[in-house]
Formats: sequence, C-alpha cells, structure tokens
Amino acid sequence: MAEDRSVSRRSFLTVATVAIGGVITAIMGIPAVAYIIGPALKKQSEQEWIPVGRASKVELGVPALFKVKIQRKAGWILNEQELSFYVLTEDGRDFIAMSNICTHLGCRARWVANEGIFFCPCHNGVFAKDGTVLGGPPPRPLDRVEVKVEDDQLFILGG
Amino acid sequence: MLTRIENWIEQRIGWRAAWEAIFLRKIPKVNWLYTLGSASLFVAINQIVTGILLTLYYVPTPDHAYDTVQFITYELPAGWFIRGLHHYGASAMVILAVLHMLRVIAYGAYKYPREVTWTSGVLLLLVVMGFGFTGYLLPWDQRAFWATIVGTRIAGTPPVVGDFILRVIRGGPELSEVTLARFYGVHVWVLPAVLLLLVGVHMVLVIRNGISAPPERGE
Ligand code: HEM
Ligand code: FES
Repeated sequence: MAEDRSVSRRSFLTVATVAIGGVITAIMGIPAVAYIIGPALKKQSEQEWIPVGRASKVELGVPALFKVKIQRKAGWILNEQELSFYVLTEDGRDFIAMSNICTHLGCRARWVANEGIFFCPCHNGVFAKDGTVLGGPPPRPLDRVEVKVEDDQLFILGG
Repeated sequence: MLTRIENWIEQRIGWRAAWEAIFLRKIPKVNWLYTLGSASLFVAINQIVTGILLTLYYVPTPDHAYDTVQFITYELPAGWFIRGLHHYGASAMVILAVLHMLRVIAYGAYKYPREVTWTSGVLLLLVVMGFGFTGYLLPWDQRAFWATIVGTRIAGTPPVVGDFILRVIRGGPELSEVTLARFYGVHVWVLPAVLLLLVGVHMVLVIRNGISAPPERGE
C-alpha cells in the first residue's frame, strides 16, 4: 500500500511538472513567435496620391522619367526613398505610368530614345514603349503604377 | 514503440544515468527554502531566452539604442512582454540568489564538503550583479546614463588605481559610445559565458555532494 502510494505520487509529480512546464513554454513561446515574425506581418503603409509634377511636361508619345521622394519606416529609422517611373501619353489626355524596376530581377530599365525601347542592362531585357516584353528574360511587362491628372498636376498612387 | 525508441537512444548515448543522477537522486527531507536555488536557475533560463530575443532588435549604439528599445516596447507584438520579463527577471534574479545564499548561511550548508559549491555561488552572485550593472545602461535613456555615471564614479573611488579603473570601465574618461558597446559585449557575451560555466560547476557539485539536510538540535 505504502509502495503503491509512492509510485502514484511520483507519476503525479511527473505529470504536474510536464504540464506546468508546457504551460510556461507556451506562455513564453507564443509571444516569442509573434515578436519574431512581427515585422514580417506588418502591412505596407497606406497608399496615397503623391503629386509628382506637371502633366504638360510630358511629350506626346515619349516616356518621361519622374522621380519622387517618399518616407518609409521599416523599423525604427525613417528613411527617404526614391520612387522612379516613366509616364507615357499618346494624346495628352490618357496617361499611363510604369515602374522602371525590371520585372526580371529588379535592375533599373531605362528608355533608349533612338531605338524606342526600354532596355535593362543587367541581362539585356527589352520592353516596348508601353512596357510589354520584346526580348530577354523578363517574365512580364513593366509594372503599372496608378496615375491621375488634376489641373495639369500628375499624381501617382504609392506609399 | 516508445520504449523501443528510448532504448535505441539509451544504448547509444546513455542518458538514463544522467537523468537519474539529476532528477531521481536521493535527497534528505528538506523544506521549501531548498527550492530557492532552482528558482534562481529558472529565472536565469528566463533571462537567457528573453535576452536572446531582445538582441534580435536591440542595437548598442548611441544613435539607435534608445530608439530600438522604444520600438521593442511599443511597436513589436509582445515586445513589452519580452522586455518586461527580462526587466523584472533581472530584479528577481538578484533577490532569489541573495535569498538562496541566506538559506545556505542559515543552515550552515557552506561547510565541508561544500566550500567549493559556496565559492562558485559567491562568484555567481557577482556575475548576477554584473548583469544588473551592465544591463542598466543599455536602454540609453536619462536614467540609464546617469545611473552609470554614478556607478562608474563609485568604481573610481579607490585611491591610486581608482581613476584607472573608471577609465577601463568607461573605455575612456567620459561615458560614451565606447562604454555602451563594451557594456553590451560584457552583458551578452562575457557574463553569460561565465554564468553558464559557474552554473555548471555549481550544479555538478550540488549533485556530487548531495544537498545537506537541515541541521538539527544537538548535532
Ligand atoms: C545564479 C545564481 C545561483 C543559482 C542558479 C544557484 C543554484 C543552486 C541550486 C539549484 C542548488 C540546489 C539546492 C538548493 O536550491 O538549495 C544550489 C545549492 C547551493 N548553492 Fe547555489 N545558486 C546560485 C547562487 C548561489 C550563491 C550566491 C551562493 C552563496 C554564496 C550559493 C551557494 C550554494 C551552496 C553552498 C549550495 C549547496 C546547498 C546544500 O547542499 O544544501 N549559490 N544552488
Ligand atoms: S534584371 Fe533586368 S534583365 Fe535581368
């Protein structure tokens, strides 16, 4: 009888220790995971209309390069970042804007005026005036950026 | 199945003997005061885990230290919790280690054959205080800064060598970015290494010598 009791006491303590240990591990572990992956889950900051320049500056049929500075905070440092993109209009009324970041691996594509193409020097990617792929490794057209015009002022949607 | 896995592992690494020596060892009839050492060890583990988590974001330079601590506390999910555990754990650590030492004194548990256990314990208490001193500077706010000005001044009071000691601790005559970097290095590399070594020695001796029974009248 005494023997029996000492065995059950031991197994009770083993179970209690494992249970309490498990609870403590969860109390520590779950917040720890949230804490580690927190910055990865953070949403991109709100998109807003950013004024970038005068629409009448854009020559008909020729992509024009625009650059704007925006503020971004990844962690505890407020960084200034430059967004650059090409704006194209054929008629002075309908505008499109394209990011100049090559859709292959992220180099900068630039407009080559005398050939009428966008060229990316990294792996010889070639895009047409409207961003469609003409050659090289890029898998898809240049990314479009939303653009609007109000009183000759060009805005892009970004953030 | 489980027993077969256990036996497979046992035959290769012989962990059962270690398990029995640590958790199934014979101890005299004791009281709750004997848990103070284990409590210190538990908090030490808490400090190690939460401390490692804090280093994921903390940056020990004057231009970032304060901002990273604010970022941890107010912007990261559960950051306040992790930092809080480390912050209050530091105080708990000192209190528990001191209470544990008082128990050892009160019961005369420092006597033969446990003098080396005692000595390693004294060194552990110094390490714990070192953690507190170096850790206090790291948030790099006004309180951290002035507390360390005062602390290093106190270290500088001995005659003749005092000024030299102060310069070594600060890494120069002033409290600066050099001080912050070396306090960080000591806090996260030097002291943990020493702590783990001493805890290892302390525990091996506690297990090897067995713990002392509470003294009785007429002994
Ligand atoms: C980081 C701090 C420390 C930790 C983690 C720690 C851990 C432990 C543990 C788990 C035990 C087993 C028995 C018990 O809990 O009473 C123990 C025993 C002992 N500790 Fe510590 N200890 C620490 C600091 C100290 C200090 C500051 C002293 C004294 C200066 C000390 C001296 C002793 C002695 C002499 C024993 C043997 C007690 C006996 O056999 O009854 N320890 N320690
Ligand atoms: S990155 Fe532009 S072609 Fe490869």
